[in-house]
Amino acid sequence: MNRFRTPFRILAILVVAALAWGLRARAVTRLPIDFDEDDYLRAGQEFSHLIRTSDWRGFLETNYRPEHPPLAKIIFGVSILSAPEKPLTPDASTTASPNQYLPRDLVKPARTVNAWFGILTVALLSLVNPLGGLFLAVHTFTIKYVSQIMLEALPALTSLITVLAYLQSKKQKSKTGWLAVSSIFLGLTAASKYLYCVIAIAILVDWFLDAKRSNDLSRYYRHILVWGILALVIFFAADPYLWADPIGRLKESVFYHAGYSSGATEVQSAGFPTWQPFVWLSFAAYWWHDGVFPFPFDPFITILAIVGLKRLWSKERLYMLWLGIDLLFLLFWPTKWPQYIITLTVPLSLAAAEGLKLTWDNLLAWRKNRKNVVHIPYKKSETVRALPWLIPGLIAFAVLTLFPLLFQLGVSFTDFSVASLRDGLQGGLWPAMFGASHIQSPASSLEFPFRQTQVNFIGPANYLPALGYITGPSFYSSGILIFNILWTVLSVSLQTTLGLGVALLLWQRGVRLGKFWQLLFILPWAIPEMIGAAMWFNVFQWDWGWLDLAIQKYGPNIPFAFLSAWWDSASGLWIVIYLIVALWYGFPFMMLAASAGLKLIPQDVYDAAAIDGADRWQMFRHVTWPLLTPLLMPAIIIRGIFAFNQFYLFQAFYDLEATLATTSYNVFNTGGLGHPLGGQFSLSAAINILAVILLIGFVIIFNRWSKAGEGVTYA
Amino acid sequence: MHKISWPKQIVTQLLLALTGLFVILPIWGMMRLAFDGSLRGRPTEFRFFPKVWSFEPFFKVLDKPYQSVDFEILLKNSLIVSFAAALIAIALGISLAYAFARFRFPGRQTGLFILLLTAVLPLVSFMTPLYILLSMLKIRTTLMALVIVYSAFAMPFCIWNMRAAFQTVPKEVEEAAFLDGAGDFTSFTFITLPLALPSIVVAGLIAFLMAYSEFTIGWMFVEKADNVTLAMSIYAMMINQYLSGAQPWSYIGSLAIIMSIPVVVIFLIFQRTLLERMMFGDAS
Repeated sequence: MNRFRTPFRILAILVVAALAWGLRARAVTRLPIDFDEDDYLRAGQEFSHLIRTSDWRGFLETNYRPEHPPLAKIIFGVSILSAPEKPLTPDASTTASPNQYLPRDLVKPARTVNAWFGILTVALLSLVNPLGGLFLAVHTFTIKYVSQIMLEALPALTSLITVLAYLQSKKQKSKTGWLAVSSIFLGLTAASKYLYCVIAIAILVDWFLDAKRSNDLSRYYRHILVWGILALVIFFAADPYLWADPIGRLKESVFYHAGYSSGATEVQSAGFPTWQPFVWLSFAAYWWHDGVFPFPFDPFITILAIVGLKRLWSKERLYMLWLGIDLLFLLFWPTKWPQYIITLTVPLSLAAAEGLKLTWDNLLAWRKNRKNVVHIPYKKSETVRALPWLIPGLIAFAVLTLFPLLFQLGVSFTDFSVASLRDGLQGGLWPAMFGASHIQSPASSLEFPFRQTQVNFIGPANYLPALGYITGPSFYSSGILIFNILWTVLSVSLQTTLGLGVALLLWQRGVRLGKFWQLLFILPWAIPEMIGAAMWFNVFQWDWGWLDLAIQKYGPNIPFAFLSAWWDSASGLWIVIYLIVALWYGFPFMMLAASAGLKLIPQDVYDAAAIDGADRWQMFRHVTWPLLTPLLMPAIIIRGIFAFNQFYLFQAFYDLEATLATTSYNVFNTGGLGHPLGGQFSLSAAINILAVILLIGFVIIFNRWSKAGEGVTYA
Repeated sequence: MHKISWPKQIVTQLLLALTGLFVILPIWGMMRLAFDGSLRGRPTEFRFFPKVWSFEPFFKVLDKPYQSVDFEILLKNSLIVSFAAALIAIALGISLAYAFARFRFPGRQTGLFILLLTAVLPLVSFMTPLYILLSMLKIRTTLMALVIVYSAFAMPFCIWNMRAAFQTVPKEVEEAAFLDGAGDFTSFTFITLPLALPSIVVAGLIAFLMAYSEFTIGWMFVEKADNVTLAMSIYAMMINQYLSGAQPWSYIGSLAIIMSIPVVVIFLIFQRTLLERMMFGDAS
């Protein structure tokens, strides 16, 4: 077996690298010119001119767009040396739309050199893990940004080398050589794009943890000092623009980014919320460019990565640190361009590889277990006795509930819309659901919104656009699905915290007015959701709400006045207003569930803990919490499902694309609130089916937890 | 554990009062609108109490809240739709619930999974297909269509809960009846059903409340003003207010309060049972 391992591995690496080459070559020729490509091509032209005229002194004063260090731009300059010299690309502001008239014979070599860096990155990653390399090879955002004239390709490669060299040094006896390599490549990374230096933090943390374990912190500080100084020297050497005025120009380029993120109009008008990096991870460049990428792999890679996180941590801590620290940095960094996620697609791909292996292992174990489970045979007589009860109920359930859902699946395979309403209702829908089509090639008509006047079968072709619609920036929202998930997590954790807190307060012995408070707190749960939403709308609504009227009367210094301004917040602070409302809705349910759970915990446990000298916090942490969790978990998941399906709240605030349910409703709705895609029935059906698939996951988790809860009895 | 000391008592009471304030705030915001007789459109200035205390908005809403439709008609529509939806969901689902509670048969586990899954779907995932289907049958704009949508949505939930209710009835009671010569049907009708009835009523109550307070989806189905329900008229008023602000805002407030009162009373009475039902509790 082992004899075949190495050749097999080499073959896998070659296949993955070839795939990466094919996809990137295709992207190089097919991708349209994007923002910034003209800038970096111009920078490359300047350097190319300097080399042609052997004007080496010119390097000291040349760095077009000086906020980014020049190394990657110099490489562009070298790459277009063999092409005929063209007039310099005109200087344009960063807000200018992409320049579509760039000379093709310059664009191609510059993009190609980038693509080669990308292929090298994939090949290198395949050395570590061929499966991870495969995921990086097909990741469409990575393909896009390493195949355009952007600064990402080179630092992505050098940062990977930095990490790999550092990891090698951990394995070797004499560490110096590999550490020097990692330090040199860190310097080169810094000389290409600052952002990629986040890996230095990850490496330092990993290094620190190792040093702390071996109680050798003083050596650690000496080592990182040398390591860092070497990286700085290399950075300085690779950045000739700095030589004339090191401090001043470095300051200028670094401070540019701080000003850019808070001041530049394109950053402001993009209006990306804080959580936008998650949106980019769930979206794919596939939906931006037709016919460039084979499939939107990105969201699936992200899902697998989430599954594999834990395994990646136990396998190689550093990759996890890289992923985590990078993501944290991107969340806090005010600028949210999609290319920034290229800084973390390498560890993401590795996590996805672990996730896939884990899923595979679980499947195997499940299959093996299934054979071992003793099956109690069904009694035929019992089944016969059940039939008279089953049949009428099943018919009713099938007609009322299952049939509509199946019908919906059928509708999602057509292009039924308000334009084809008449044809569809007069009988055109049935044949279309089973394959009938009036147009010659249904695939070519896939343009939202559908405007065919006759219903056509288009197969599963609705689903990829629908997935793109709910994951990417759309009309009113940037990433509906991510908002939906974030909303579920945040609102339920807030509700649980307050609900549990109030339950604990009321649970103390001898609290006065306990019954009264409990009765009062139940009110939000009892009031129908829409009426509650109307009440809060009356408080928070812009211009005529209570809060805004109070601001008009008493000036902007009254308490909570800041909430009013948060409606327009570009960083997504408006979610806080919704969370306040959701907290109001949901905490009573959690309070009741927690109270019911607390009553089941016997007093003896606390007496025993008190004898052991536990203080209040320890009692909560080590007694109440672990005993309460299995009882509370079903309630948390139920609240989670409610939050995931939240509809009336957003509808009342005229937020047409908050959750999947709201989106589906407003995409369906032909009149009234005026969603631009209103009347796209088949899109609405497809979104509903996607929501059903996600809820299947919820139900599986619920089943597992409620079964865990059943086994718990304390009394 | 000892009774808490008085400083702790004060802190506790303060924290509870703060939470109470948070609970009351939006409700009071609506109340002060509802009792303000001076409003002729949107509120234009901040007030903590109504400018002119008045019951006039309540009288107006109890007369003709929406366009020129009488309150009685709206209430009647609401009650018809909600009762019918709850009854259908219970009546058609009860035998399936019993089968799942009492018998083992092939496909039972899968069935339970599908049941739970359909019980947690959002209403809108039934709206899309049923809108199209009922339009084909040309009954989309009738009250009957609303009944079908709401009962389709409520049925999985009701089945799940009735199953739990039947499981609480000990099997031995039925077996005793069986020995006395009673068949499945007889023992169900005379023993299990009466014992499980309170829980079944609560399940129906939840279905009723859902249909009673639902309106955005009804709003898409109904076209004639005569078929509008109480909840839908609130939504109509809200959209109207948002677009033009023509009607006094007090009407939204008073109608919301009138609508909420019966629901709140039911919740306060049945709080413990409702909590159990809504947690999809497994009584086994």
